[in-house]
Amino acid sequence: MTDISRRGLLQTGGLAGAALLSGGLAGTGFARLAAAQQVVADDPLYAAARKEGALTLYWGSYEQQTMEAIRDAFKAKYPGIEVQLLRQASQTVYTRLRLELQNGVAECDSLGTTNLLHYTELKKIGALAAYDPPDAAMLPTAFKGLDKDAMYHVGAISLTSINYAPGKVAAPPTSWTALLEDQWKGKITTGSPAFSGDVASWVVAIRRKYGDDYLRRFGQQKPKVGQSNVDTVTDILAGERVVGSGAPFSYTLAQKAAGNPIDVSVPTDDAILNLGLTGIPVKAPHPNAARLFTNFLYSKEVSDILSKNFWPTLRTDVAWAEGRSLDQLKWYRNSGDDLAAEVAEGIAKWKELVR
Amino acid sequence: MGVISTSSREAAPRPAMARVPPVKTAVLGAVILLLVLLVVQPFGWVLFNSFHDDATGAWTLNNYARIVQSAELIEPLVNSLLLAAATAMIAVGIGVPLAWLVSRTDLPLRRTIRVLTLTAFVTPSFIGATGWILLAAPNSGWLNTAWRWLAGEGAGTPLNIYSMAGAIFVCGIYTVPYSFTMVSSALDEMAVELEDAATTLGCGVLRTMVSITIPLAAPAVIASFILSFIQGLTLFGVPAFLLTPTGIPVVTTKLAEFYQLFPPEIYLAAAYCMPLLLVTGALFWMRRRYLGRKQYVTISGKTRAGRQIRLGGWRWAALFLALLVPMVSVFLPYAALLLVSLTRAWGQGLSWENLSLHWYWWAIFGNSETHTAIVNSLVYSTLAATLCVALGTLVAYIVERRLMVGASLLGAVTTVPIVIPGIVLSVGFFAAYTRAPFNLYGTPLLLIAAFAATFLPIAYSHGGSILKGIGPELERAARSLGAGEARTFLSVTLPLMGGGLVSGWFLVFIPIIRELSVAVFLITPKTNVMTTLIYNAKDGGNYEAVCAMSVLLLLITLLLVAVARPLAGLTGARRTSRKTAEAAGVPS
Repeated sequence: MTDISRRGLLQTGGLAGAALLSGGLAGTGFARLAAAQQVVADDPLYAAARKEGALTLYWGSYEQQTMEAIRDAFKAKYPGIEVQLLRQASQTVYTRLRLELQNGVAECDSLGTTNLLHYTELKKIGALAAYDPPDAAMLPTAFKGLDKDAMYHVGAISLTSINYAPGKVAAPPTSWTALLEDQWKGKITTGSPAFSGDVASWVVAIRRKYGDDYLRRFGQQKPKVGQSNVDTVTDILAGERVVGSGAPFSYTLAQKAAGNPIDVSVPTDDAILNLGLTGIPVKAPHPNAARLFTNFLYSKEVSDILSKNFWPTLRTDVAWAEGRSLDQLKWYRNSGDDLAAEVAEGIAKWKELVR
Repeated sequence: MGVISTSSREAAPRPAMARVPPVKTAVLGAVILLLVLLVVQPFGWVLFNSFHDDATGAWTLNNYARIVQSAELIEPLVNSLLLAAATAMIAVGIGVPLAWLVSRTDLPLRRTIRVLTLTAFVTPSFIGATGWILLAAPNSGWLNTAWRWLAGEGAGTPLNIYSMAGAIFVCGIYTVPYSFTMVSSALDEMAVELEDAATTLGCGVLRTMVSITIPLAAPAVIASFILSFIQGLTLFGVPAFLLTPTGIPVVTTKLAEFYQLFPPEIYLAAAYCMPLLLVTGALFWMRRRYLGRKQYVTISGKTRAGRQIRLGGWRWAALFLALLVPMVSVFLPYAALLLVSLTRAWGQGLSWENLSLHWYWWAIFGNSETHTAIVNSLVYSTLAATLCVALGTLVAYIVERRLMVGASLLGAVTTVPIVIPGIVLSVGFFAAYTRAPFNLYGTPLLLIAAFAATFLPIAYSHGGSILKGIGPELERAARSLGAGEARTFLSVTLPLMGGGLVSGWFLVFIPIIRELSVAVFLITPKTNVMTTLIYNAKDGGNYEAVCAMSVLLLLITLLLVAVARPLAGLTGARRTSRKTAEAAGVPS
């Protein structure tokens, strides 16, 4: 157990670590067992999950570090369940799950990816199991009950904004339209919608707001187009460009907190909000452990970890890092039934107008 | 002094006996079975997939029709061929002379250059690309900044790594190790009598090199050209980092897009690999046409004398040129990576306060996954490389000595996997081994099999080019003294292949340990490997960690090479023969 505690401390250094510390270092194995039995007595779901003894997570939402902290907090709260975490890019995780389904393999207990379409598709082929996590009651109202059949839920909230190098920019652009000003020509870095789901969401949203003319003028700004939108941070820190469009909000703030000269500017014409989703496959080998984990996502422990790592929290009663919150900023989320076609069209237009 | 074989290649022994010995049958059977399991079956799935529709799963030719009809799909193919051809030319153009310098001349620091070349080889291509972005990005690249500092602010940007030229340069310098290792081990194993004869007849050093040495090493040169070409076709990291920003699509970045789409177009991706197979097939066919009529036998047993060519005044100029490769492929990029890995937050730049070993500490102790991943990487790579070299050498022997009907088909089959980009092959392996009766999903065996199969072509080509240099006379002698095929192979051929096999092992081990994409759908939390973690850190934008882990991966691999060196004489393959020669009074 000490191993886990040390690890937790190193990674989150904060509340998760503290929770582990009290659970791991301070408590003896005996006391922990007693405590665990107490929780079991209170929670039949944990009892059933413990009987299963294992849990396999397939997650693409959140980066490795945050995901490991969540896993470790789960292990600390619910001893006796062996947790395996497969953390890969969302689309890779989804493709793998599809391959497993096609080949009759069932390994995944909990799927967490950043694309709603994964879940509507899985639901359509009857691959998802329904579960209503009680603690999801603390989610912001806008994200409650996403699926009327409770087959998928919010797993992560991701914001796309503008980022910039404070030392090199007198006044950062404050809106998406401001990025089209002459002063930013040759200064912008961005990701590619063909590689990054977040940038694809941004393209769909920007076309809805301003049409293809925006993309045309954006292309004339000669942005440097990387793959992931994480590349915007790299370009800004390296000094290759000074302003990032379609940039990751949480990750930029995490880099700022690490001491890097970078900051976010939340556009007045809306940060683009993309939801990460989570669901339990109908053939999950450890369905109770999966439910326990799904509900755990909406615990205070997890929201504390998220806040610590500059992610929007999944509870209204846990503030974001630096005292930010969802209602302080203007945001927009793509909705609609034909998103897949809109994404494909957006990528095609991007290739035509931007590069 | 060795004796040069003058018999023709056509006389290579065919199985003359009507009676087929049981050991030989068993070995042939095992080789064929392994090839079916490792290559035919996974590739069969890729081929099968290519004829299916992604949306409906029905049989279709539509994937191929789309490729032929769409300019958007043709353009990446053309770009890839350009990149591959240029990469191969750089790799051979630099690697072959470098191998000659190191194997044949009194160039100073020969051993160091061998080690440094291996170091470049250890570098995953996306790490090399990252290093070069730090160095030569148009605005921020340190080399460009240095230039502006020297020549004044208005001096512009001499280097732009985000270009086709930049990608060719980076692909090329990281592919040089292929041609260098293959050709230098061929030169190491080659007897020097013909070169001596040329010198005696008045040929200069250069003429001897060009008209005797390099042509005799032709099998290795051509094999390394083809492998380098395939490298250029199948590399993902370099074009993804360097060509995406300029909007130049290549096959591998296009494949990544197919997988990124929703729903992912996996079957179209499978079809998209087939043109690569055609091109590579054509290259192998040309190789056979060219090599088939000639003979390259120079080892016929007895002694090999080591003889060094004195470069005289050219020594230092040659050293400068030889060091240029490690300079651009190792020193410069790793200096950049090392600096970033030693900072707490690299955006702050270099200062005492910002210097820290934090990320190394994090990578070694702080990350729960790293331990397992390092152990897994080492164990899988060792086992897979051993299986790969054993099987590849056996197939090469069967093909070169024509031990069975259809041997060349066996060779062709062996060559297929490396041509298929990893991300597509990964799906083939998934389908091949996950179902009953194998049920290998989640086991180390799945990854070992996939790694061994992917790099089988390297072991096979390398084994083949060594075998071409070994005359069959000694084997015949053994046979006529009553030894069977198996005993002959084990007690005559194998020892003669010697050091070449060891370098072949590294030639496979190193690409396996740095391989990323073929494992993408095969790893599970318990069977994770180091490169996946590095890529995850890159995906999460944690560049300090990426750099620290890359430096660690490099150190671990170099340590292994250093440990293996005394055992194998890898970096001094000719040492023994040279010592013998010196002892015998042959001037060196």
